Amino acid sequence: MVRASERDSKWSMVVDIDRCSGCQACVIACHAENNIKLPDEEMYETGRTQNWIRIDRYWEGEFPDVKARFLPVFCQHCGNAPCEPVCPVYATYHSLDGLNIQVYNRCVGTRFCANNDPYNVRFFNWWEPIWPDIMRNYLNPDVTVRSKGIMEKCTMCVHRIRRAERTADRDGREINDGELMPACAQACPTGSLVFGDLNDDNSKVSHMVEDERAYRLLESLGTGPNVVYLKKVDPEYKGEAVKHHG
Amino acid sequence: MRALISDKFIIVVVAIVLVATFAVGMGVVIPKVLANIYPVPEQPFVFPHQTHADVAALDCQFCHRNADQTNAATVPAVEQCVFCHKIITGGDGTITAQVRDAWDTGQPITWARVHRLPDTVRFWHEPHIRVLSDLMSAEQGRDIIPSEVCATCHGDVASVKQVEQVRTLKMADCVECHRAKNAPTDCSTCHY
Repeated sequence: MVRASERDSKWSMVVDIDRCSGCQACVIACHAENNIKLPDEEMYETGRTQNWIRIDRYWEGEFPDVKARFLPVFCQHCGNAPCEPVCPVYATYHSLDGLNIQVYNRCVGTRFCANNDPYNVRFFNWWEPIWPDIMRNYLNPDVTVRSKGIMEKCTMCVHRIRRAERTADRDGREINDGELMPACAQACPTGSLVFGDLNDDNSKVSHMVEDERAYRLLESLGTGPNVVYLKKVDPEYKGEAVKHHG
Repeated sequence: MRALISDKFIIVVVAIVLVATFAVGMGVVIPKVLANIYPVPEQPFVFPHQTHADVAALDCQFCHRNADQTNAATVPAVEQCVFCHKIITGGDGTITAQVRDAWDTGQPITWARVHRLPDTVRFWHEPHIRVLSDLMSAEQGRDIIPSEVCATCHGDVASVKQVEQVRTLKMADCVECHRAKNAPTDCSTCHY
């Protein structure tokens, strides 16, 4: 396999939890950018909504000392991804630039990958996508509209990566750090999501992953996530928090 | 009294004719379907590529402005036709009159798309033109202009009146060329 670009990049995202205010701008931006189906009531009831990025909310402490904690979760693009080896048709694989790729036209919808995925970030298309008539022309032409019966997930906005690579190739230059970012990172008002090339020693993410607050989600499973989180800084923090999800 | 030609004979003849017609028809249709080549769509009016690309000797990207810039080659807006046809009247003038009508009424010309790839494919014109012109320049030892590269996939557009699809443009067709030229074969090069 010849890699998509001659560049030796390893694309990664760093999420600074300390900066996240839980505003959900990333969720909206992702829906708009990636032609994600609009959820309706039935989808919520059956737990079949599709959010490539979601904000997990945790309550910490007892009333009146309650604190909300937010955790943006999306595909971790694991280096040792549990979803990849279970696909019988190689519809999901690891690209050489560090992305977990989902090939829609290969997928036959066995849903093995979603079963094996510990982060709950893969979504199956149970219905043909339908948008209100007024929104038909809002679809992003760079992103495939996924039809019924296939799996989809965060692509780290691979269409933007390819566009940036090809534009840089055309102009005969390198991709500047910060020039390229997924829709979620672009929409984040607090700069909580930072995207960049880990193989570039001078990039912002390369410095951020060396921070002492850095950790990875469910690291003990050995999935080797490509996404790095930076812990919340809380001066009032006393010992282990009691966490209730929801 | 016996009929000169029996009913049975007529039925047999009709059956043979039907089967033969069907077989010949399938013989024509099946290879085209297998090759992924579909009938030329009907355009709102004839656009003579020959006149523009051969007689007037325009570069392809004079009209398809983004072919060597980005992914879509783009079909020009009516404004760009009027850029020349405000003054130039081609042929007997009926077609250029239609172009001017479209410009005056502000209605776009609804061109039918000839080359259509599946929805899961993202084709980029720019890298193909850039890399192929480099390769062809090295092969032939002279400078290649982008217009010469287009024929690789689109055929000799300058010699036909109505453009039609000449290559299958199926994935095997793409991959064969990509492998031969050591171009990217990562799935996410085209599918995302």
